[in-house]
Amino acid sequence: MPVFHLLRDWLSAIILSPYRMLQSVLYRLNILRPLPAENKKMPKFYQDDEAWADIEPLPQDDGGMHPLAAIAYTEEYSEAMGYLRAVMANSEFSQRVLGLTEHIISMNPAHYTVWLYRAKTISELGIPLQDEIAWLNPTALKHLKNYQIWHHRHTIIDALGSSEGETDFINTMLGQDSKNYHVWSYRQWLVKRFVLFDKPEELEWTADMIEADVRNNSAWNHRYYLVVGGRGGKPNEELAKREIEYTKAAIRKAPQNQSPWNYVLGILRAAQLPKSTIKDFVLEFADINKPDDVYSSHALDLLADIYAEEENNKGNAEKALDLLATKYDPIRANYWKYRKGLLQQAQVAA
Amino acid sequence: MTDPLRFSAEASSSRLEEILDGSERIEELSDTDNEYEDMGAATLEEQVNIAYLDTVRIPIRDSYATETSKVQDDTAEIILPYLEGNPNDFPLNAYGIPKLQRDLHVKMLERALKTWPAQAAMMDASRPWIVYWSLQSMTALGIDIHPYQKRVAHTFSLAQHPTGAFGGGYGQLPHLACTYAAVLSIAIVGGEATYQSVDRKTMWHFLGRMKQADGGFTMCEGGEEDIRGAFCAMVIISLLNLPLDLPQDAPARKNGFMTFTDGLGKWISRCQSWDGGLSAAPGNEAHGAYAFCGLGCLAILGPPEETLPDYLNLPLLVHWLSSRQCSPEGGYNGRTNKLVDGCYSHWVGGCWAIVEAVTGPSELTSSHLWNRSALARYILSACQEKKGGGLKDKPGKHPDAYHTCYNLAGLSAAQYKYVYDENVNKDIGIANLGAPYHWKSQGVYEDDDVVCDHEDVIRSIHPVFVIPYRSVYECRRYFEAKEGF
Repeated sequence: MPVFHLLRDWLSAIILSPYRMLQSVLYRLNILRPLPAENKKMPKFYQDDEAWADIEPLPQDDGGMHPLAAIAYTEEYSEAMGYLRAVMANSEFSQRVLGLTEHIISMNPAHYTVWLYRAKTISELGIPLQDEIAWLNPTALKHLKNYQIWHHRHTIIDALGSSEGETDFINTMLGQDSKNYHVWSYRQWLVKRFVLFDKPEELEWTADMIEADVRNNSAWNHRYYLVVGGRGGKPNEELAKREIEYTKAAIRKAPQNQSPWNYVLGILRAAQLPKSTIKDFVLEFADINKPDDVYSSHALDLLADIYAEEENNKGNAEKALDLLATKYDPIRANYWKYRKGLLQQAQVAA
Repeated sequence: MTDPLRFSAEASSSRLEEILDGSERIEELSDTDNEYEDMGAATLEEQVNIAYLDTVRIPIRDSYATETSKVQDDTAEIILPYLEGNPNDFPLNAYGIPKLQRDLHVKMLERALKTWPAQAAMMDASRPWIVYWSLQSMTALGIDIHPYQKRVAHTFSLAQHPTGAFGGGYGQLPHLACTYAAVLSIAIVGGEATYQSVDRKTMWHFLGRMKQADGGFTMCEGGEEDIRGAFCAMVIISLLNLPLDLPQDAPARKNGFMTFTDGLGKWISRCQSWDGGLSAAPGNEAHGAYAFCGLGCLAILGPPEETLPDYLNLPLLVHWLSSRQCSPEGGYNGRTNKLVDGCYSHWVGGCWAIVEAVTGPSELTSSHLWNRSALARYILSACQEKKGGGLKDKPGKHPDAYHTCYNLAGLSAAQYKYVYDENVNKDIGIANLGAPYHWKSQGVYEDDDVVCDHEDVIRSIHPVFVIPYRSVYECRRYFEAKEGF
């Protein structure tokens, strides 16, 4: 049947092409662009609302001259902002203010002023914080890349004093974007705020995230935070050994992945162990005596450091750096030359 | 694949992505791909480019696939045609690289300063950024921006809050990011009346309220504390020559702090991550934009050769910065195992001048730590937008003022030798946070591997303040001469 499919595709291409061309021209001219869902909703105006009759809005004042990068706001947005400025000027904290902030956030979730005022209103009114979180969840999912939503969540959960349900929510968010910086930073804050360092589930979850994508550097960072970074102090020998073995297994899966190489170096540094601790392992992936069989440029990089720390082995360190500059990582040739220069400098100084 | 984090309170690109219909972008991509495929056999220029790309490629590839490696492969497939050939049909320079499309970009920037349609309400809190990015980009392209002087002063007088500092616009609460963008815009256009429009006394009190018990700064009252806050505060205090003493009403005085800089260097130290980069706040992941904020902050606290070694593990930092350059694309990514993006041309590319002020030059080590020409190639070949002008993240993405500003700043970092020299401007920067007034440009790099013609060279940019040198020195000179607030 492939001939039939080919024929069918060919025919449909010929028949549909004028339509497609027209469609693409119309899209370009902005004629066919579908309206965003929000525009279909009925706009809300406060001047018609009895409940707001006592408020005199403070309209946007551009003072005669035309400001740069101004925005031709919709009447709805402009009016709502006028009412927000008025309630802020009166320091009004009320249920209707909560409704107003929700309305503005639906039109512009990146408005820090509205979020800050909402947080203050909630705190002044003593609104049940769980209700706020329930409202926040769908809003956050719609706007993944927003500083304000995360900070607001942080403020509310901090006041609530419980992290219940938060890890589930975080998982949903990371399902959409597994490296979202705000989400991971928020998770680190949760771990610290609710002292979750020794909760076994936290490390297991992190291991699952690394298992799902061994190249997810955000997950490696969280692991470091749990094991060493967030706790401070020097990890004991047993812990360091466990982490080294864990990292070795990850490196074997994909040796050209820099995250676990950096991670193991971080562990060695924190445990005050020399880089040579893992020399035999490194040699599996890069050996200057086998310059054609290098399986990881990061192994070669580390090998250069290990040789540099050894007595009378600067020559081998130079060989490793030369291999990086000329063959295995040439875009960074200047950096490798700089490292070689530092070796020579150290020799001169000695 | 826009990075989730921008330096701004809200990046215009991510906002616009929500506004603009996604299908149009996909269509745009497939169009250009087809044009490229229709070009037939490789031209001589293309053969040269293809051969070059082989010289900067890492020859090792893991077969184990994960989400990260798949996205990386897909992205390389989109970008490589632009590095090999010239799908945009731009005129080429003597090195076979697309010329800098000055006129196209200027037109896009002029549009950015005009009135935006209602859908742009998402940028309501970031308007100071649009002004800064656009004006800075225009000066880099050699455009005289003095005609905007009065309107800049007017725009920000509306956004100045009675309790001090600037918000996104009229009636918005003061915010350090908005204030940073406002002060830089004011410094760029210059002029006594513009400088005078800043209320420095209330600004000083506002900054006092941002200083935290651990040495860092929050972005606004009740807002997040991160390294952007530290950098923005130092830029503002230094450029406006504000007193270093904390105001009496600053809450951090209760923690024994007397000045804005107390505990700050140590706080920055705590932001250095296990892999050497700097993060938003202690414990977070290392990130290019935060690295620049941290280094910029240290370069204001004192001469880089003192402050960097005092507060950072320098070899580890250099290793991490160096690893950010993507192979074979030549541009930078912001984090380990993330995608190349034109904005990191500055956030990471801009770190080098500050780092090289410490590491070089010496006879044994080259002062040249990174691959300048590979970055310039990426910017000129892959980040210039044909339709409507402006620069962008990567092919297939939409251009905006943010990416235009930071691609151009990265291009200047690739083109110029920026040098820290205490003999420069001996008459200013003696007192408070005066270190960043001793930078100079030592002309354009002229190595064998340059890829820019004379016409592609933009105006030099101050490596710490990211505005023209002259604007930096005139602003500080004005406020040094001023007595009291």
